[in-house]
Amino acid sequence: MIDYVKGKSVEKKTLWALRNISLHVHKGESLGIIGPNGAGKSTLLKVVSGVMKPARGKVHTNGTIAPLIELSAGFDDELTGEENIYLNASILGFSRKDIDERYERIVDFSELSDFIGTPLKNYSSGMVARLAFSVATEANPDILIIDEVLAVGDARFRQKSKERILAFKDRGIAILFVSHDLEQVKEVCNKVLWLDHGAIERYGDTHEIISEYVECQTTVKRTD
Amino acid sequence: MNMVNYFEEAKEIFRYRELLRNLVSRDIKKRYKRSALGFLWVMLDPLLMLLIFYVIFAGLFGSSKGTYTTYVMSGIILWQFFSQGTKIASIAFLQNRNIINKIYLPKAVFPLSIVLSSLVHFIFSLVPLFIIILFSGIKPGFSLFLLPFVVAVVFIFSLGIALTISTLAVFMHDVTYIYDVLLLGWMYLSAIFYPVSILPEKLQVLMSLNPLYHYISLFRGCLYDTSLLTAGHIVSGIFFAVLSFLVGWSIYYRNKDRIIFYL
Repeated sequence: MIDYVKGKSVEKKTLWALRNISLHVHKGESLGIIGPNGAGKSTLLKVVSGVMKPARGKVHTNGTIAPLIELSAGFDDELTGEENIYLNASILGFSRKDIDERYERIVDFSELSDFIGTPLKNYSSGMVARLAFSVATEANPDILIIDEVLAVGDARFRQKSKERILAFKDRGIAILFVSHDLEQVKEVCNKVLWLDHGAIERYGDTHEIISEYVECQTTVKRTD
Repeated sequence: MNMVNYFEEAKEIFRYRELLRNLVSRDIKKRYKRSALGFLWVMLDPLLMLLIFYVIFAGLFGSSKGTYTTYVMSGIILWQFFSQGTKIASIAFLQNRNIINKIYLPKAVFPLSIVLSSLVHFIFSLVPLFIIILFSGIKPGFSLFLLPFVVAVVFIFSLGIALTISTLAVFMHDVTYIYDVLLLGWMYLSAIFYPVSILPEKLQVLMSLNPLYHYISLFRGCLYDTSLLTAGHIVSGIFFAVLSFLVGWSIYYRNKDRIIFYL
């Protein structure tokens, strides 16, 4: 569970990407993070997952973190599906034993067993995304960080990945979920953080915040 | 306090050893999978370089043909271990910016894995070297047991340089180009294809400031000329390795959290 992300800000040149963000996410909670482009959503995820260190303030996390951020970053086109499973899982910090144990499950979930010996360059982008999703979600994390990656593969695989995320939630895993798809946020999250220009605009119950967010966006459009 | 933190990062790298293994094996697979001669290139590469040096310089420097071949070949192979590793490692962070930007990991695994693959290539290229040594009638002696020690020292030296260059290159891309030019000059100054004795006395003294000169001498000492295993070479060799590693590690460690803002 994430205990808190307190008074945290990240410095980038002279612009503050995030300022005065203070919140707690407990075990079993899932927090949706919404807001316009450049609001600091992805930066917040990077700070929580340790990719970036905050210039001020602190992030406290308890347990292991699995990032589902731009899934194919750690893949290599020239290697086979199997080799890429090992490579990508080790980028996420898995030991050889961990990967051996999970290998079958990863292949099963991705439904790519027929292509597992083929170099990745011959995969379609949907297939690559399926493989990446399968590796990352086998991590068995305490905290799951998701950045816009549920729109993966065909409709059936999308459904399957959504079910997997919901199952994580039932198991009591803390989830941070960044998405522009408000319907998905409603489905997955019980709390929502609305960010704008690196600051908290609103924070609270999912349906309440989302309806305010939608309302705000439509007023902006009307004034345009 | 600082020492404790340095150690923590090293432990973190150890935790990611499976990643190191995968990166090294990917590197080796990718480098040789595509070519028709495949892994043979590990051996052919230094042999072809040897041929060039031999044709041009054997008449000049080679008093006895067999020894000159061994002399040049050992120089080339040790030089390539150092230069290839550090040259490729100089862009280690830049090349992996996609991963570093998205996922937390101890970033030093990237330059480290490149120096490690260079070590693997070096070990394979010992095969043609030993073939040449045997053909030239040299019988390696017990000094061969010192070889792992010499290799370890060169590895630590290379790793220090790799960490330094790769970190600096993030903040100033020119560093990689400067380093390429530097390497070229460095090669000519490292007594790979000429004997040190042809240099004027003043330059010979300056050679003692060139770490690679010590390493190549020690390497040759292990293989066929025990008179090169002097205390001077050994002490200087260790000194430069420790210095390089401490400088490299502290440059990396101090900047590792800033790297992401410049990638």
